[in-house]
Amino acid sequence: MDKLNKNNSFKVPEGYFDTLSNDLMKKIAKEDISTPLNEGFKVPEGYFENINSKILGQLENTSVEPKVIPLKSYKKHYYTAASIAAVILLFLSVQFNSVKTPSYSDLANSDIEHYFEFNDLELSSYDLAEILPIHDLDLNDILESRLDNDNIIDYLDSHIDDFEELNMHNDD
Amino acid sequence: MELKSKILIAEETLVIQLKQKDHQAKAFEILVNTYKERLYWHIRRIVLNHDDADDVLQNTFIKVFRNIDSFKGDSKLYSWMYRIATNESLSFLKSKSHKLKINNEKLMTKAVEDLRADVYFEGDEIQHKLQMAIATLPEKQKLIFNMKYFQEMKYEEISEILDTTVGGLKASYHLASKKIEAFLKEN
Repeated sequence: MDKLNKNNSFKVPEGYFDTLSNDLMKKIAKEDISTPLNEGFKVPEGYFENINSKILGQLENTSVEPKVIPLKSYKKHYYTAASIAAVILLFLSVQFNSVKTPSYSDLANSDIEHYFEFNDLELSSYDLAEILPIHDLDLNDILESRLDNDNIIDYLDSHIDDFEELNMHNDD
Repeated sequence: MELKSKILIAEETLVIQLKQKDHQAKAFEILVNTYKERLYWHIRRIVLNHDDADDVLQNTFIKVFRNIDSFKGDSKLYSWMYRIATNESLSFLKSKSHKLKINNEKLMTKAVEDLRADVYFEGDEIQHKLQMAIATLPEKQKLIFNMKYFQEMKYEEISEILDTTVGGLKASYHLASKKIEAFLKEN
């Protein structure tokens, strides 16, 4: 910043730059707030004045304090864990040839559906959209009612002034 | 300098201050003051009831504060916050419908019915009907309709928040308006 001020004879009021962002943010806050004029929704009186302290209070209450983990208490579990692991290893090595590990195809579709239904994966529809392969999807897979060519033509017919302008070729 | 670029710079400064321990508290206060109202109305239109909107708004700001380090500045600060508010509202509704053991559609119909007895809803019959019509829309169309119709946001802004192309948004808005029109005519 000092570099910018070399040989500068212009001055700004004291604290100008400190309050600039605050002032600008105030301007943004005022700018076209889409408060519902005709929607009928109301808020309790003074709600927006008090919300700041509420949020700050919540932040303090939920502040993440680093947990102190006693290292010693784990020591006794190491022996138990090691012996369990040894037993499992032994069991696996004996059973290795006879045990068939379940694969994805062994899962019934209903089990998978049940899992998605009752486990909160916290996936939004946008997350899902990101992982779903688009190429194998047909438009009709995601629509509630089937969309046939006839429907599309009907739609275009009623929404477009000059149907011929679309330059559609019908090979039939 | 244009107001728009000034705002961008102010936002950038604010983000930098939010990431510094010394300035964090002050910057966060400015952030809350700037965006509390518009985020509140955005959330309120999704969850409909004031108490729920209050909960979600607080959670949104807390998430923003906790995750400011992961804000990379690829999008505008306010689009990022709108996105958090949208996701918070939707997951709030999801967990509410889980708790009440009803599906989302029923939950929304119930929420609109409850508006009649809500002291913080003073809408007349037509406004109530409009809310009923909006409740019948699929989630994404509902979001787009609310943002475009009530908040009068630009398609470009909605596109950044919902990560959808402008063309897709226009089509969804068109469909949503048609459905609402049909609903209002029928009922």
